[in-house]
Formats: sequence, C-alpha cells, structure tokens
Amino acid sequence: MSTGAKKRILREYAECQNDPLPGVKINFDEQNMTKWEILMDGPDQSVYAGGHYKLEINFPNEYPFKPPVVSFKTKIYHPNVSNDDKGSMCLGLLRPEEWKPPNKVISVLHLIRNLLIEPNPDDAIELSIANDYKTNRAEFDKTAKDWVKRYAK
Amino acid sequence: MTASRIDIFTVRFPDPSSPSFNDDQRWITLPTNVSFRYPITDNIQTLSSKNAGYDASGILYVPELRSDECKKSEEAYVPANATRSRNLPSSNPGIPLIALAPWFSPTCMKEYLESVRKDSVRVLFVFQPGTDRAMPPPMADASWGLGDGGAWKSANDFPTYAINAASGSVILAQMTLYSGNLSEVPHGKDLSSALDSTDYVRLWARVETDAVNRLPSLWVFLIIVLAILMTIIAATSLTMHCVQRRRREELRRRVINGEINLEAVGVKRLTVPREFLEKLPSYTYSAPAHDSENTMPQLPPSVLLASSTGPDSQPTAGARPWMRSSSAPSLSRADGQSPAFSQPSCPICLDDFESNETQVRELPCRHIFHPDCIDPYLLNNSSLCPICKESVMPSGYCPTRITNVMVRRERMLRRAGNRRPSGPASSLGPLSSPIHLGLLGSRIGGVISGRRVFSAPDHRRARSDEEMAISNAAPLSTDAAPGTATSSGATPLSARSDPGCGEIDHEERRERARERALTLLGNRHVPSGDEDEEASGPWWRRGLRKVFPGFR
Repeated sequence: MSTGAKKRILREYAECQNDPLPGVKINFDEQNMTKWEILMDGPDQSVYAGGHYKLEINFPNEYPFKPPVVSFKTKIYHPNVSNDDKGSMCLGLLRPEEWKPPNKVISVLHLIRNLLIEPNPDDAIELSIANDYKTNRAEFDKTAKDWVKRYAK
Repeated sequence: MTASRIDIFTVRFPDPSSPSFNDDQRWITLPTNVSFRYPITDNIQTLSSKNAGYDASGILYVPELRSDECKKSEEAYVPANATRSRNLPSSNPGIPLIALAPWFSPTCMKEYLESVRKDSVRVLFVFQPGTDRAMPPPMADASWGLGDGGAWKSANDFPTYAINAASGSVILAQMTLYSGNLSEVPHGKDLSSALDSTDYVRLWARVETDAVNRLPSLWVFLIIVLAILMTIIAATSLTMHCVQRRRREELRRRVINGEINLEAVGVKRLTVPREFLEKLPSYTYSAPAHDSENTMPQLPPSVLLASSTGPDSQPTAGARPWMRSSSAPSLSRADGQSPAFSQPSCPICLDDFESNETQVRELPCRHIFHPDCIDPYLLNNSSLCPICKESVMPSGYCPTRITNVMVRRERMLRRAGNRRPSGPASSLGPLSSPIHLGLLGSRIGGVISGRRVFSAPDHRRARSDEEMAISNAAPLSTDAAPGTATSSGATPLSARSDPGCGEIDHEERRERARERALTLLGNRHVPSGDEDEEASGPWWRRGLRKVFPGFR
C-alpha cells in the first residue's frame, strides 16, 4: 500500500474522530490501519435499537481507487447483509463499479447507519428477508428484534 | 471377389485380316433363334480371384497341351473339334480370350496353365470331368492342388472359376459346333446370307462378379470416413475463423468510431501510455478566480464560499468540501469552452490544492488531481477518470490488438445488457451493463446522503457527476444533456421515480442478487490480461480454442 493511501486513511480517521456519528465507535490500530473495527449501536428509531454490532472495514491495497470492504461480524437480520459468516454488505457506493476515490469512509458509515434505519429491500442480498420486509413487516420486525436479543446484546 | 453369373452367348466378328474389316462391327451377339445361349447362375466356385475386380468377357477356347501324354488323355474329355486357338483369327492378338479346361490331372493342368499364360487370357474356367451338377469343391479342396501349395493361383494374372461337370460338358459340346467357318456353324445357311463369308461365329463368355464384394475394404472405408471428418473440421474451423475475424474487425471499427470504449464497458482494462500521460495538461493550480489566462476556468470565490457554508450543505457535505451546489450561477467563457469543475482538493489524497503552488494534472474530462496521485493510477491501473469514468484517451483510440477473448466478452456483456429488465437504464442500450448497476447504486446512495440522483433515463454523461457537482448548468458537451440534471443536492427522495424496479419479477431479482454476490467476491473487475487467459487452461483447451476460435 502506498504512502499516499496510508496518509489518506489516517486523514479519514481523524475526520471521523472530529465529527463522530452517534453510536459509532472506531477501533483504529496504527500498526494495521487497513483494518478498522467499528462498534455500532442499533439506531434508536430502528428495529435494531439496543443491539451492539461489530463491523469490520477492510481497505484494499488499491484504496482509494477500490472501495473498502464492509462486513458485519455480528449476526443481523437485514435484507442487505448476507446471512452467513461473512456478513458482507455490497450496495450503493460500496459496489466496485460505483465507487469513486472522493467517497469517504464517513459516508460509508452513514450508508450503513441509514440502512439500519431503513433497509433497502429492492437491492437486497438476502431475498427471503427482503420479501419478509416488504410483505410481512410485523413478522420482519419480530424476527429482527429476536435476533438482536439473541446475537447483538 | 466371386463370380455371380456366367453367360455364354454366340457372337460374330469379322476377320481382322479381311479387306472389309470394320472395327465397329466386332462382337455382335447373334439373335437367340439362330444361336446358342447358356447362362450359369449358380454353382460357380471361385478358385482364384486374382485381378477379378471387373466383369470380364471373351471368346471361349480350349488351350493347347504340350506333352503327347496329356494330349492323349485329353481326348477322353475334350471333343476333337472344340474351339482351339487355331480356330481363331491368328493375325489379331488383341482378341479377348477366356479359356475352358477340364481338370483331369495335375500334370496336364500345369500344361494348360502354361498355355493360357502365354495366350494372356482374361479368365480361366475349369471343371472336373464327370456328370456332377452340384457345386464344385471349394478353393481349399485337395482336388484343386497342383502340388505347389496353391502357388499356381498367384502365378496367374487372371481369375480362375470352377464350373460343374455338366455345364462344362455342355459348353464343350457346343464349342465343337462353333469352331469352323461361317457355313459350318448351326443355322450357317441363314446366317451366311446376312453376313460376310469370312466372319467368325464363336462362343462368347461373360463373367459377372459379385458387386457386394467390390466395396472398398475396411481400411479404405476408414480413411474415407477420416477424410470426411477432417474436411468437416477444417471447414468448421475456417468458418469460425472467418466469423471471429469479422467480429474482431467489427469491434475494432466500433472502437475506432468511438461507439464503444473497451474499458468503460468492462471488456478490457487499458492503461495510459507514458507519452500520452505527458501530453495531458499539467499546470499550477490557481485559486478559483475568474482568470481568462488560466486553462482552468474557476468559479468566483463567492460561490466557493457560499457552497462550503451554504444552507444547502448536507450533513455529509461538511466532509466534502469540494461538493458544489449546482444552483451556483453558471459561467460562460468568452471563447465558448465549457467550464470545468471546481475542485479545491485532490479527490485521491483529499489534500487541498494550494493556490499558485500546487501542480495539478487535468484530464480531458476536466477533473484535476495531484500528478503524484493520478499518474501511477493511469499508468498501471486504468485509463478512466476515477471520478467520472470517462476515458482519458481520445475517442477512437484502439490501443491493443482486438483478441477473440475481448470479442467474446463484449458480446457477453452486450447480451447481458439486452436481457436486463426494463428500467431507467434499459434505454441506454448495449452500454447499460455497468451503468445500470450504477444507477441502482446511486439510487441507494441517494437514500443515505441525500445526494442528487438523476431520474431522467438518458444521462450517460451526467451519471458520472454525483460527487462532483457541476459548477454550472451548461451542457458538458454538445451531445449530452446534463442540463436536466441541475436539480439541487437536496432532491427529495420521493421525487425519484424508478419505473420498473418495483415490478421486476422474482427471477430477475435473483439474477441481480447473484450478480451482486459476484461483485462482492471481486469477480466483476475489469480483466487486465486477456492474453494470459487466451494462453491458460489445459493444452487441449488451448488447442481447441486455436482450431475453433469463439468456442468455449
């Protein structure tokens, strides 16, 4: 990874610290700055309220020309997060062909937070969950809350 | 090769030595009522099939014996007047001959054979004397031995057929009748009125060989099959080569005409050669002041100020100081050149440009970067502007040899593009593959940060400028119409219309989800080395690709 990219990551970290998102904490390791550990609380107005989610943001070597890779380490019942051990998330500006160097980690964090508040079933990675969300909202809310209790406490 | 049928006819032919000899009148078969006919359709044993590949015919005669003992014993089997070579025209050695000999003793048979070889007959008929009407003994039978282990058969250059004793005697008896001159043969009186007195009338034999056995042997058959296969393969290969070549030329033409950019559609990753890069303008950044001397038109400072602190700034806009509201007053340059974007910082390292100090590189799309940031990327990674994905290369630049892999990929993408559900992007046509996803992505992106999202379907160019607000409303280029994209960054979410997206059926959504999963795994990146791909795989696969280009 080039020094330019490292400089940029440091800079972005500083920016995130200066302008912190509510309920978002970043564990930053100077030695391994390409891997950020994020602790995100479920937003109060969402079904994930009360949950504490551990995420990982990995910066590829080609950053900022390639998007960072976001994965949920805590299981979550969400149409846009893959329901496997990867917990990967790939939509919007995280998509490689959509990513542009000016995009920043802070906007990625915004994206994640907003998706917790309002999932996007039209661009889902888990189709069954998306279907649940669209057609049987009560059931979705119940399961999501259940998962919060089971995995995200 | 066996004989299936022997026919005995009576023919007349002119004496070759007579003054009225006419070659056209040879071998005329006499009418049935005044002649002898005798067909033998069964009980023919083939003793030797040497040179028996064709139907043979000729005048029947009995060969001469050499030794007196044999001549003496022959008298018991051959009537005295049977046709001999002396009863045939001597002056013409070209007469086709078929010999008939009784097989009464091996010694005399050898003498017969010597004689017929000298006469160069076409066929030899033999029969074992007696009254037998049955099939003569088979070839391997001891009675056909001459004490030489069958060597007599290969020493002959004609086939030998055995007929039964009854047929042999009948023919011999008739041969005695047809050996004299015209007036002596049966019906001679009737015939002599119509024929020349010097004409010969003799018995004629024709042998028909079995057609079934004349098929080529197994090997010949195999070779023919192989040859047909090879021809088919060669023809297919040639056709595929031609088709592939046409496709390559077609793709090349489209690239040169600027209809398609290989990297933009995801066919081939291109990089910018150093000499091209050095031609791109590089200059010292100057603060956004209207300066006609500067190649980089800028917004008035007031606009800059307004945009960074203005009321239209979104929560995230604070973190993006370069983001401009497109409600900024439009600028028009005196020379008519379209104004560039205003960028106070490098989008790659996020450092601010220092006015009159920082060296910047400007790409043809008018985005500016630190040369240190952008040059390695363009040299090694891509030829597209990282922000707007517009090619740095001039339109129509065809950098590499178009390969079959590229043709295949382009066709695949085009097909995938045509298959896509109708939606905002379908009107983009063949180019829609990555762009379509782009639109979807921007839709999501819009949810989060409230960034401007284009709802008009035809913003091929405008799509690229989500991050970089356009500094004025004028079209970026003459053919695109980003003027319709001047909605502010605060476009309400509800204003976005996504016709079709909500109606995509389950199947298609599943397909999209799969593609997305692939994207996630990083499989959708623009491939860099297709030459490697061409040369990869097991040897048979490489060979197959060589012979049948376009085959997968």
